[in-house]
Amino acid sequence: MLAASAAALPALLATAGCRSSDVFAGPDPLAGRPPLSPDVITLQEVIAAERAMIALYQAAVDAGARPARGLAGLLAQHQQHLSRLQASLVLPPGSASASPSPSVSPSSSRVTVAQLRAAERASAADLVRRLDRVPPALAQLFASIAASDATHAAALGG
Amino acid sequence: MAAGSVSLVQAMQAALAAENAAIFGYAVAGAHLSGARKTAAEQDWTGHTETRDTLATMISALGVTPAAAQAYYRLPFAVHNATTATALAAYLEDGVTRAYLGLVAVSGEKWRTFGALAMQTSAQRAAFWRGATQAFPGLQSS
Repeated sequence: MLAASAAALPALLATAGCRSSDVFAGPDPLAGRPPLSPDVITLQEVIAAERAMIALYQAAVDAGARPARGLAGLLAQHQQHLSRLQASLVLPPGSASASPSPSVSPSSSRVTVAQLRAAERASAADLVRRLDRVPPALAQLFASIAASDATHAAALGG
Repeated sequence: MAAGSVSLVQAMQAALAAENAAIFGYAVAGAHLSGARKTAAEQDWTGHTETRDTLATMISALGVTPAAAQAYYRLPFAVHNATTATALAAYLEDGVTRAYLGLVAVSGEKWRTFGALAMQTSAQRAAFWRGATQAFPGLQSS
């Protein structure tokens, strides 16, 4: 019965003057993954930048940069940033892994406190530049992290 | 925070209210501080006063009357020495940071940028008074 009904569907549509594309007006499930929205791409880029910042701090801590306790505290806050950013990222099933690993390996060179300070400032400025590309809640998260980064830069002597 | 549910004028008025509260609070805190900390409190009081004036001008430009400051603000705890005065200063800056977070949620690059930069200033002041940075200024830390 059901098979007979399905077989009769094209004829019925033709009788009604409809094409199959008129019936299935939504996204084509067979066309592959839809492109990621701009705000998701922005979030992925911010996550990648946060990972790079963590790698930079880790390299500084591993190299014995001072003050060690202070740097460890700031590093821990960056790890909190990363966790919260990742929690905000929702990708459709089957999407490629969100954020690429940092392209540079800061452990290959000695990281100074001045470099960390410059990185914090750059991060704060970059986050503010991205505010208008994301929804309100994500903009607030970016602004809060930017404010945290600004306090880090000050704590590092800037 | 219910992001996006607050209008531009509401967010601006909230920021103005926070600035007015900070101006009042710093006057109280400064009376219990001395030396470099008193100087810092005076500088922050001046900074909040200037920002208050800027906000009032911006609100007026929107065709709205800026909300007036209250004659008195209830302090969150008794302030009777340098320790509690320092804690009050940090508390005030946290409130200012939260208020500007609301402005970041409205539409418009100009307003979001203004709010975010103001958050950076107040978060830096809070870190100074608290002696420690925070991972998420203005937001719940969970």
